[in-house]
Order: sequence, then structure tokens, then C-alpha cells
Amino acid sequence: MGAYILKRLFLVLFVGVGITFVTFVIAQVIPIDPAVAALGENAREEQIREFRERYGLDKPLLVQYGLYLQRLLQLDLGRSLRTGRPVAEDLKEFFPATLELSLAAFLVAVCLGLPAGIWAALRQNRAPDLLVRLMALLLGSTPVFFLAILLLELLHRKLGLLPGPGRLDPYLIPPPPVTGMVTLDALLARDWVAFRDALHHLVLPAFVLGSASAALLARMVRAAMLEVLSQDYIRTAWAKGLAERQVVFRHALKNAALPVLTLLGGLMGGLLSGAVLTETIFSWPGLGRYVTQSATSLDFPAVMGVTLLVGLVYSLLNLLVDLFYALLDPRIRYA
Amino acid sequence: MRRWLLGFAMLLGLAFAQDRTQVLVYGGDWTDLITLDPQVVYEFTGVMIADNLYETLVRFEGNDLSTLRPGLAESWRVERGTTDWVLTFKLRRGSKFSTGREVTAKDVVFSFERALALKGPGSFLFTDIAQLKPGATKALDPYTVEVRIPKTASPQSFLSILTFTIGGIVDSEEAQKNAKGGDFGKDFLTNNSAGSGPYRLVRWDRGNQVILEANPHARVKPKVQRVVLRYIQEPAVLRTALESGEIDIAEGLTPEALRAIAANPRFKVVRAETLRLQYLAMNMKAGSPFANPKVREAVRWAVNQDELVQGLLQGNAIKVQTFIPKGLLGHNPTTPYRYDPERARRLLAEAGYPQGLEFELLASTGICGGGVPCPDVAAKLQADMAKAGLRARIRTIANAELLATYRAQNHQMVLAGWSPDFPDPDGNATPWSDFGARSLAWRNSYNDEVAAKLARQAALEADPEKRRALYKILTEKVLREGPYVVLYQPALPIGLSAKVEGFLKNPMMSVPLWQVGKQP
Repeated sequence: MGAYILKRLFLVLFVGVGITFVTFVIAQVIPIDPAVAALGENAREEQIREFRERYGLDKPLLVQYGLYLQRLLQLDLGRSLRTGRPVAEDLKEFFPATLELSLAAFLVAVCLGLPAGIWAALRQNRAPDLLVRLMALLLGSTPVFFLAILLLELLHRKLGLLPGPGRLDPYLIPPPPVTGMVTLDALLARDWVAFRDALHHLVLPAFVLGSASAALLARMVRAAMLEVLSQDYIRTAWAKGLAERQVVFRHALKNAALPVLTLLGGLMGGLLSGAVLTETIFSWPGLGRYVTQSATSLDFPAVMGVTLLVGLVYSLLNLLVDLFYALLDPRIRYA
Repeated sequence: MRRWLLGFAMLLGLAFAQDRTQVLVYGGDWTDLITLDPQVVYEFTGVMIADNLYETLVRFEGNDLSTLRPGLAESWRVERGTTDWVLTFKLRRGSKFSTGREVTAKDVVFSFERALALKGPGSFLFTDIAQLKPGATKALDPYTVEVRIPKTASPQSFLSILTFTIGGIVDSEEAQKNAKGGDFGKDFLTNNSAGSGPYRLVRWDRGNQVILEANPHARVKPKVQRVVLRYIQEPAVLRTALESGEIDIAEGLTPEALRAIAANPRFKVVRAETLRLQYLAMNMKAGSPFANPKVREAVRWAVNQDELVQGLLQGNAIKVQTFIPKGLLGHNPTTPYRYDPERARRLLAEAGYPQGLEFELLASTGICGGGVPCPDVAAKLQADMAKAGLRARIRTIANAELLATYRAQNHQMVLAGWSPDFPDPDGNATPWSDFGARSLAWRNSYNDEVAAKLARQAALEADPEKRRALYKILTEKVLREGPYVVLYQPALPIGLSAKVEGFLKNPMMSVPLWQVGKQP
């Protein structure tokens, strides 16, 4: 097992190099000069030249790429062309907000999607099933920006039940930043008012971001459960007179879990790679917004940094999912 | 018991409400913010904030960008030396930084040398426009500073530049204490403040908010203790946040939202004047149809400015035709051209195009001045020009690509925008009329020695009245002969809660937040 994990981690390195190469090539194909993009309409020729020299943009592509890899080996992601700061520092500032939001959204997806899927499978073709399927279809096909603005209008402006955009009431003094996740920082500072408010602020964006995943998950769980429930051993379990809870949770769910697990890994990866629209509408300072701004200003050290980070997260999540397989299915063993 | 509880709750509510008048929440898209270091910052949002953190020697007040007023300097003198201009500033005593230290001449010397050493994006204002050299700023005594600039530079432009954040005075001790590897404290001042302005920076959570608090040592006391700048990018959300009372000021609302807000007594709309100009540029290089002055004249008669401003822009702009924007010394209000497609057609025929002329019009895919998508502006121009036989083929491309094409002189006609780099007419006159400056005139192959000479002469003229007269001649000349058609000067509409008082955004986009008050 240990050797397997090491081997997989080693492969992640290759994924990383592949990602940097592809991003580099894409950056070169775009017919726009990043120096002009960064400096704007009034920039003078000397300024543009100086900018190119400072960021090594005047060197041949392969040299640029080599220098980048060399710095990367020293864990240096370079400097952002737009913010002028080390990319690593920018990521440190923007990633926690994304992590906080995506964990909350993941929680929403699991808490809604999993029970809904099970319920629908158990009551196949009856009212609960139809309801779940209808809801899944609705939530799964509603565009995020529409849902977000609708809910903000309704729950925030009209009813005043939930707070507006942002992570904390502007009239509160924010807790000192430690982890960058406001809920956690408020907890660490034992600031209960801020904690409650931060949680409150998390509800809407987490729901909006998590709802599509919940819908997907519900359908997946339903399908997987239906397949398992039709099998002989489940019939036997029923025949033995086991309670529904035992049949579902002890016998059926465990076998339905494998495909669901694969989906969960992908979902978490998708949530983490930045939800641009949700982040934009809820003014959430996350990776999604950071990378869009970086991309529009052709700030490829920043884009590269985010791509690398997301690639790494995906690879690790996949590894984690594979390890969970072994845990759930005794037939799977990694040597 | 219940009544008592209710009373208590009301008391709490009142206490909270009182507190709220001491916090001002300003929402908008602040994503251009990358630094708050006064000598480095050059972005709209950064300049707006840094302006409240640092004081300058001289400053402008309100919308008036032609009268210099005392800032940290209580008086100043401009003298003609033998080889250079000598500017002497007398500092006022007792001004203090947020650190509690007194502002003295050595801080001024440090800040100016710092600007030259850091070579930020705005440093050309010091090095190129004012031709300021390292060592040219001297402390004569703790309250007197002398600055020398070459005879070829304009002392008026330099004084205007000093009102900009690059002339902001930082606490030299604080900056040096936090300096890393000879960076003059640049890393530190990116996220921290050390100025004598009415506010100090408490916190900047990138992409989320910037929090300012009253500087306890400042000479100017703000009306509101705390200002929170909230990043809100999405216009629909901005409107919701303003209407729900979550924010007090909203910048970046759509025209529809502004109309709705203006009709609601709980809100009001103010229009900030800008110094931006939206214009058409025609490439006059040899072989281009626009090298012919009659064709350029035809284009000027084929633009329906009134419909553009009143219709598409819904009044969020003013009609101007000359290249010095309203608000600056030397603005020329003349508008001799009106929409006359027949006249334009005749001019085209005289120029040798009786069948009309076809050409490419480049436009950005982005937003033009006044908050209207550039492709919409281009389409309106295309329709109006078509009636005069000027058939524009519109090509929309990303703004960065448009700039690259424009710089490489590979355009025929381009829809572009311009804002002066500093609040002085020379910020427009030189780039628009001096071919040698390798800016707009050069990009459009407009090589007119008379215009260039006038621009240079006006830049160096110290007498405001004579200067104004020179600019009148120059703007008139470029209006008739140059490669530009100025379309409009956009205004920036901002939605406010009716409780907010004293809000102003001046044409340089700075907002004196300390003058803003809030009713309960």
C-alpha cells in the first residue's frame, strides 16, 4: 500500500509537468502581448520594453519555459504580471475562501443528494421518486447565475432572511486572519457574533454552488441503489425479515457506494477548481475569480499557478478515491 | 416583562443604529486594486484609496482642477533660475503621520527620491514630464523643501503632478524600518499605510474588502470613523445590496438600475465628471484615404453626437468636440460640427469618392466610457456614417489586441478612449498633437510641426491666461485638421443612499471620503 501511494505521488509530478507545458503552449498561441494587456492604453514604448525584460517575456519560449521549470523545482511559482506579487502569496490568499465555500457546498450536496437519492430509489415511480427526479432536473438545469440572483432577491432583499453578498457583515469587525477561512478564524478568535454571521453568509452561496452537485448526486445514488436493490442478496435480506434501515444502510448502500464515490471525488474537484459565477455573484474572493481576472489580463504565471494547484488537488482526490475503494471493497487490493 | 424586553431590544437596536452612521460601506468592482503604495499605485481604485491615506504638498479641491490649494505645504514659490526652475515649499508645522511622527522636509525628500527609485508605472510623471532627477529635492530646513527641475519642463505640470498620489508623503522612518533589500519599504506599503491623510489602512482582504479607519493624528478629521470598501462585481447584486441597505454607495450600476434608484426617494444618483474622452481616430499614413483632409472632414459631419449622448448613453456623458476635456484649464467648449450626412457626402465626392468609401472600424469587445458596450457605440456610428456614404466594416477584438494593433499603426479607423495621466492640459496636448511624443499623434501619423510647437509652448507657459489662449488655438487647429473625432466625455453615475451626504468623486476619480457624512 505504501509503495503504491509513493508510486502514485511520483506520477503526480508528471501530471504537473504536463500541465505546465500545455498552459505554456496555450499562452503562446494567444495573439495578444501580455505587456500591452497589463500596461494599458497610455503605456509608453519604454515601459512596455522594461516590463518585458523584467518578466523575461523578451526571451525565446523554450528558455522561458526552462526558467519556469527551474524556479518551480525551488517551489517558486513566479510573480503575477497583474498584481506584481509572488503567485504563491496570491494563491495563499485566495485559496482558503474557495476551500471554505467548496467544503460547505460539498456538505450541501451530500446532505441533500444522498438521502434524496436513497429515498427516491426506495419509492421508485411513486410520489417521492417523481419529486426527487423533478427537483434534480430543475436544480441541475437552472443556470447558477439565475438561481443565485433569484435567491438573493427573494431571501435577502425581499424577505431579509439571509445576508447579501460577501463573507461577513460590513458593520462587524472581521476576526484576525489566521486560516483565511472566516468561519474558522471567527472560531479561533472565539468571536461568536462573527462566527454566526459568517455561517449565515455561507448558506446561500453554498446552496447555490452545491445544488447542481446535489442534483447530480441524487440521480447517481438513485440509479446505483436501484441496481443494487434488484439483486438477489437484497431480496434475501428482505426475506429474512430485516428492517428497512438495515437492508438499506448495511447491505445496499455499501455496494452502491463505489460509483457514487467516484462521482464525489470529481464533484469535490470541480467545486474546488473555483466556481467563477457563484464567486462573482456572491463577491466571494476565491480562486475562480482570481483565475478569470488573471486569464483576461493574460497573466500566465498566475494562470499556471492556479492550473497546477487544481491539477494537484484533482490528482490527490483521485488517489484518495482509489484508496477508499480498497476500504469499501475487500476485493480491491493495491500492491 | 415582555415590555421591558422589548424596550431593551429597542435600545440595543438604537445603539446599533448609531454605530452604523460611523461606518460607510462603498460597493463596487475594485479588482484593479493591486497596491496602496502611493509612489507605485496607478490604478483607479488604488489611487482613490491612497488619496485618503496620504497627503500631498499641494492639492485640488472638489471638481476644480485648475486652482492649486495648500496641502502639507502652506505656501510655495516658483522661481526661474539660470538653468532650471526652483520650486520652494514651506511645510505647515504640526502635521502628523498615523504613526504619530511629525511630517518634516526629510519625509518629502525621501518620498520624492522613493518615487524615482521605485520606477512605478506612474514614475514617468516625475522622470519624463517633470524631468526630476535624483538629488534635485533638498531639505533647506525641517520645514522648507526646494525642488529644481530643468528649464525644459513645465513647473505648472509638475505642480499638477504633485497633487497626484505619486507626490504623497510617506513617513520615512516607518518606511525605512520596514524596508527589505533596498525596496524603500515597497512590500510593506503595498498592504500598510504610513501617511498623514485623514484615514489609515486597517485591513485589505484581496477580492473581499478594504477597511479604513480615522487616523487619530490627522489634521483633517473625517466625518465617518470607518470606511469599508466592498468588492461587488456583479451589477445586479450591487443594486440588491444598495436597496437592502447593506451598502451606502454603489458604483457600477446599470442604466436601468440607475433609473429605478433615481425614482426612489430613499436613494439618489450623483454623476461624477471624468476627464476621459471617447474618440474615433483615423490613420493618416500615406496611401490611407484618411490622409485626405476632406475625408476626415466628411467623417466629422457624419457623426450624430447628440443621438449618441442622449440615446445610447442616456445622458451619462457630455458632448465635447475638442481634445482638452471639460474640467481642465484650456477646455474649449466649441462644437461647430453637427450631424449633416449630405454635407459629408459632398465632401467625400470632392475628395474623389463619389460612390462613398469603405473602411474598417476597430472596436473593443469591452465597455466604453459611460458604461455602454463598445460594439454598441460602433454600431451606432456605423449606422449614422452609412447615410453619408461612409461604409464602416466593424471588427470587434479584445481591448489588449486593439491597443496592440493601434500601437503598430495597423488600423484604418479605431474607436478608443483616453484619460490624461495627470490633471493638466498637457496630459492631453502633447500626446494628441506632438508626433515626436510617439503617442496618439504618432499612432495616427499626424505629423504637424505647428501643432507640436504650440503644445510645447503651452506646456511651458507659466501665465494661466496666456496658456489658455495657446490651448484655444491648438484645440481649434486639431479639431479642424487632426485625425480625431471626439465623441463624448463620459460621466460616471453613482448610486447613493439618501442618508449619505457630501459624497463627491472628482474628475481624477479621487473621492475625499473624509467629507462624506451619514445620517442615521
